[in-house]
Amino acid sequence: MRRILFAILIVGAVPALTFAQGGRGGGRGGPPPQGKAGAPVDLSGYWVSPIFEDYRWRMFTPLKGDAASVPINDAARKIVDAWDPAKDEAAGEQCKAYGAAGIMRVPGRLHITWQDDNTLKIETDAGTQTRLFHFTGQAPKEGEPSWQGYSAAKWEVTALPGGPAGVGLGMLPRQGTKSRTLDVVTTQLRPGYLRKNGVPYGANTTLTEYYDHWSEPSGQEWFTVTTVVTDPEYLAIPFVTTTDFKKEPDGSKFNPRPCTAR
Amino acid sequence: MKIFKQIGIAGLLVLTSVPGYSEIDFTGSWTPLFHEDYPERFPGPELGDYMGIPVNAAGRLRGDSYDADRISMVSQYECRPHGSDYNMRGSANLRISRDLDPVTQAPVAFHTFIGFQSAQRTIWLDGRPHPPEYADHSWAGFSTGVWDGNMLNITTTHLKEYYIRRNGVPRSDQAVVTEHWTRHGNYLTVIVVINDPVFLTEPLVRSENWIYDPGQEILPSNCEPAPEVPNPPGVITPHHLPGTNPFLHEVADWYGIPYDAVRGGAETMRPEYRKVMGKPEHVPEKCERYCDCGKDAGACNLH
Repeated sequence: MRRILFAILIVGAVPALTFAQGGRGGGRGGPPPQGKAGAPVDLSGYWVSPIFEDYRWRMFTPLKGDAASVPINDAARKIVDAWDPAKDEAAGEQCKAYGAAGIMRVPGRLHITWQDDNTLKIETDAGTQTRLFHFTGQAPKEGEPSWQGYSAAKWEVTALPGGPAGVGLGMLPRQGTKSRTLDVVTTQLRPGYLRKNGVPYGANTTLTEYYDHWSEPSGQEWFTVTTVVTDPEYLAIPFVTTTDFKKEPDGSKFNPRPCTAR
Repeated sequence: MKIFKQIGIAGLLVLTSVPGYSEIDFTGSWTPLFHEDYPERFPGPELGDYMGIPVNAAGRLRGDSYDADRISMVSQYECRPHGSDYNMRGSANLRISRDLDPVTQAPVAFHTFIGFQSAQRTIWLDGRPHPPEYADHSWAGFSTGVWDGNMLNITTTHLKEYYIRRNGVPRSDQAVVTEHWTRHGNYLTVIVVINDPVFLTEPLVRSENWIYDPGQEILPSNCEPAPEVPNPPGVITPHHLPGTNPFLHEVADWYGIPYDAVRGGAETMRPEYRKVMGKPEHVPEKCERYCDCGKDAGACNLH
């Protein structure tokens, strides 16, 4: 009887443990593959962001002082009220609204490619910026701040509820726990703007993004990026937005153009 | 050999035992985040603001004819619940619960409860078909969900006519709404895609975020919707006849936006529209309306 119970334990635990280790078929005994080899969805190609939401804050440079919807604090309000695009131009800082925390909200198109097996590259036509998502681990400790910062990426692994330590009796690989999300954390950012009219983010900002691919019933592909901007200097709480990108058949509408401050 | 036999028996027992279904768990209480379009969603949209909506001429005409006085003058509008598609963009808190089959423990449905007008909705997960075309339409419609990895894809049909924006831009009862739900930690992201052959020229895509808030209490609503019947004699639904709405230019003038952009339409939503859009007629020197909505994570007041 004890042997049968033991056997039940073993057989019941195998699917659960296998799932906990692999998630996406990563094989037994190791972490799931990352980078290009581990991609559960294909984000490469040309994408456009039709402006359905925040239209008057994204399609136009908003009026001076307009920080609606952004959970800014008093320190940020002072900067918003003092915004002067001429000063930014004179200082050569026309790209302040094109940094990683703001660029996905700028109307435009993206070109996404694999630079190598462990680096996903996003080029934007608005402001001709390049973001690199590194699947090789955390940011280096002494990085130089830049508009796009350092982005550490991984394909999300959703563990079994309750963690892998539980007994898997009666638990088969289940629906809904096989993640298809790309998680990206960006740090080492040069201070910039969340919006073109000077709504600021600071040097200690951490940008967390979740990329989710989906399709319309027609087959039209989209991805939505959920963006969480955490900035202890200028935000009262994390600033959370979602931006939707529609796949285009080719790059004929990709139109690189420089940053503008106005 | 004996141990292999025992493992075989055990395997059969496990395979025929209750499978563990435990999808990404959406159950619990959620609070909407208004970090996009806060002034539109909470105080309410400006009249004549169709920005970001791929509206057609018929939808635009309906918006132009809208008069908010109808809410106080005509009983059927007084306590009208939101359509389930608009509810995910509305301003009320959300509670999600789940039904499990008592024998198999397989999930049968999610239920949502939203405080505004006590809106309740069921999203069936058990593979049942949608009802036939002639079946009743409701505010919630009929929703079914299918998992694709960690995303729940939902299809909703049989909706009553409602609006896309609270300034009268309509969504017809012929619309099919698809949703894509994902959860990342304490954030719930809901992507709502409205396909409406009557009032839209292409799908409208909006995505909203909610934050997990297990401590909240959602109170029931005391407002019950009235029957949808013809107005009594002498009661006319407030409206504007074509070409007579005096408020349509306000939003363009208040925010310094070209009037053509305010009128919406798919062509105004492409990035390249910025190259061809006209100049605004009036540009205020600085923001004067709703400039601090959400400051310090607070409310949205006019000044």
